[in-house]
Amino acid sequence: MNASVKALLRGSCWLALLVVLRPAGLASVDDAQSFALQAAEPYVKEGFQVREDYWGGDLGAGDKKAVRQQLFKGNEYWFWLGTEVERAKISVHIYDSDGKLAEQPDSWEKGHFAAAHVIPNTTGSYFIIVNIEESPEERTHWALVYGFR
Amino acid sequence: MSSLTLCAHGAQVPQHIDIKQLSKKVEDVVVPLPNEIFGALNKLGVVNWKEHVRSDRGTNFTERPRIALLLGTVIADGFIAVQAEDAPAVKEIGQRVLALSKGIGVGNSITPHAKAIIEAADKRDWDSVRQELDRTQNSVQQAMNEVHDEKLSQLVSLGGWLRGTEVLTSVVTKRFSVDGAELLHQPDLLSYFQTRLQAMPEFNVPIIHEIEVGLVKVKPLIDVGNARIPPEAVKKINEITTRLGDGIVTRD
Repeated sequence: MNASVKALLRGSCWLALLVVLRPAGLASVDDAQSFALQAAEPYVKEGFQVREDYWGGDLGAGDKKAVRQQLFKGNEYWFWLGTEVERAKISVHIYDSDGKLAEQPDSWEKGHFAAAHVIPNTTGSYFIIVNIEESPEERTHWALVYGFR
Repeated sequence: MSSLTLCAHGAQVPQHIDIKQLSKKVEDVVVPLPNEIFGALNKLGVVNWKEHVRSDRGTNFTERPRIALLLGTVIADGFIAVQAEDAPAVKEIGQRVLALSKGIGVGNSITPHAKAIIEAADKRDWDSVRQELDRTQNSVQQAMNEVHDEKLSQLVSLGGWLRGTEVLTSVVTKRFSVDGAELLHQPDLLSYFQTRLQAMPEFNVPIIHEIEVGLVKVKPLIDVGNARIPPEAVKKINEITTRLGDGIVTRD
């Protein structure tokens, strides 16, 4: 997965430039979604179907958001988190319905991108925890997309 | 850029969290697409998807909630036709999706997707058809949300979920497996739909009420905690969802 993430980061420079060129007030969840989708891009080549639907919003530095999602045993999932705030540090983690960490060790985070990988042991509800760990902005847009295979 | 390394974070991440503390910060679920369930089902053994393909033109409705439910069902039928790799059925479903979208006032945003579905079916490019079906549902729901028709958007999701559950239970009833039955373990999703339906008193159409009653019956059959879902429960859910599915596609 290392090569995929490096490719993502190379591509992200261009996307970041486009977003930075926009007036700051116009940045939106859509921009954050562009970065989340960019994080997902290398995985599409590995057979993951990325959903069109997504979650998004804005959070203050240090704030968390939980997303509840139905996952099915037999499938494999990646959740990709992105923000347009380049100097932000974000993370995403997955817990089962008992609150136990459920993600695979190859889950990763790098600045304004993060991703969590889960192969569910059981079918049921899981909690995806989105965290804006650090950010120079008062509010930081975030978007979370997911894919499965 | 080449010096960038991944941040392994396993050691710093809490191994356990208190879910109850999250209750005020939990976002709504994204309703899974039928093909998410079908993909898991495929991994359990060969499924004869052709016997579940349904591409008849069905009834035309004028009530918007009924059109929304039917639209979700027809999109789910599209995913089934893709599983069966049935190009003529996919093309017919593409046309039907467009007609229903027009009936509900969101045809403009669906026309390019319907065209793409039909073109991809001609090329038997099933991955593209799947992607376009997902885009279609997303575009329909976005268009509805933009005009504050969120409730109709939720009915599209519900129609798709009911059709997906009908087919899942049909497959598992015919060849029972514990893992297949476990795919029905979706109590939070069911509660989500129940809550949404309770907030739709203005939709005074019998099928909505029938679905509410049906979901009440389904809930204890799938909300079994760590216990297994038995064959009789799967069969019962199939009877309920088949009856509701028939109600969605036929006139009262």
